[in-house]
Amino acid sequence: MSDTQLHTYEVFHQSKSGEPHVHVGAVHASDAALALQYARDQFARRLPCTSLWVVPSDQITATSQAESAAWFDSSTDKSYREASGFPMRDIVKRAENWQENDQLTG
Amino acid sequence: MNNLPLIARLLTLADDELILGQRDSEWTGHAPLLEEDIAFSNIAQDELGHALLWYTILHEHCDQPHPDRLAFWRAAPEFRNATLVELPSGDWAFTLVRQYLFDEYEKARNAALAQCGYPPIVEAVGKITREEIYHLLHSQGWIVRLGDATEESHRRMQAALDQLWPHALGLFEPIQGDAEFSAQLNLIKIAWLDAITPTLAQATLIIPPDTRPVFGGRRGEHTDHLTTLLDEMQKVARTESPDAVW
Repeated sequence: MSDTQLHTYEVFHQSKSGEPHVHVGAVHASDAALALQYARDQFARRLPCTSLWVVPSDQITATSQAESAAWFDSSTDKSYREASGFPMRDIVKRAENWQENDQLTG
Repeated sequence: MNNLPLIARLLTLADDELILGQRDSEWTGHAPLLEEDIAFSNIAQDELGHALLWYTILHEHCDQPHPDRLAFWRAAPEFRNATLVELPSGDWAFTLVRQYLFDEYEKARNAALAQCGYPPIVEAVGKITREEIYHLLHSQGWIVRLGDATEESHRRMQAALDQLWPHALGLFEPIQGDAEFSAQLNLIKIAWLDAITPTLAQATLIIPPDTRPVFGGRRGEHTDHLTTLLDEMQKVARTESPDAVW
């Protein structure tokens, strides 16, 4: 069945000046100007908004679902790469203690 | 102070918005695509909101009944809207051409009202103008898109313009009892023509020549379509007493 609903545009919404534009959904429209109007009606009337982007959906290059395992799943343990793999909290805690001790003794 | 000219003027402003808002709301659930359904329903709501602003001034500053009472308990001959806004919505082309002609009228009229020196009206114009900028962006965009998109869309748009034109000219019917504002209607009409002419030309639509305007709306002389519209719009309110609080 052919799509009678024209093109789709991905909508990116900025809630505060300086914040990143965040993907919030998509709209159907005949062209970008109308897509912006529809995006405004659907995503900016109730949420605070400072700026909207629309991007033709077919202009987005995406990874494929079928290959997502190859792209994103680790087959071996690489937890040492993750932030949580570092005992930062302990190090910071120890540094704080040293500082306190220095102040007490100094 | 003699409020009669003010009441006459405000009623035309309010009734235009109420009846157009009601007509526009008929598209809720029926617009050509979901996004447009939402966009156009928003516009319908905006128009009703503007009607409420005008009715509220009538109520609070001119000793007129409550807005609900004015909207739901008057009969067709008491309404002062132009016949343009009461005509059945027809197809999407008809709806958009009407909306566009009205949006441009409202813009030109608001510019004049902003200078009228009556604070409640000047303040209301300020509130309305921001939403009207968006309405105009929307309706003008559609006019240009559909005017020369396909043979069918062009045919439908031109047919709509031909049918609507005499009623659109009726927007400039002098308002009985309000000589001051009526005197400005000619200038408003010139500004309106200046605005719509290039857009309609861009849309390859031709303004019907030598048209006699349909007057009467501003005196309470309406088409039967208004009675039908009011029957439906007022039905729920009239199941209760006029003093019911909603």
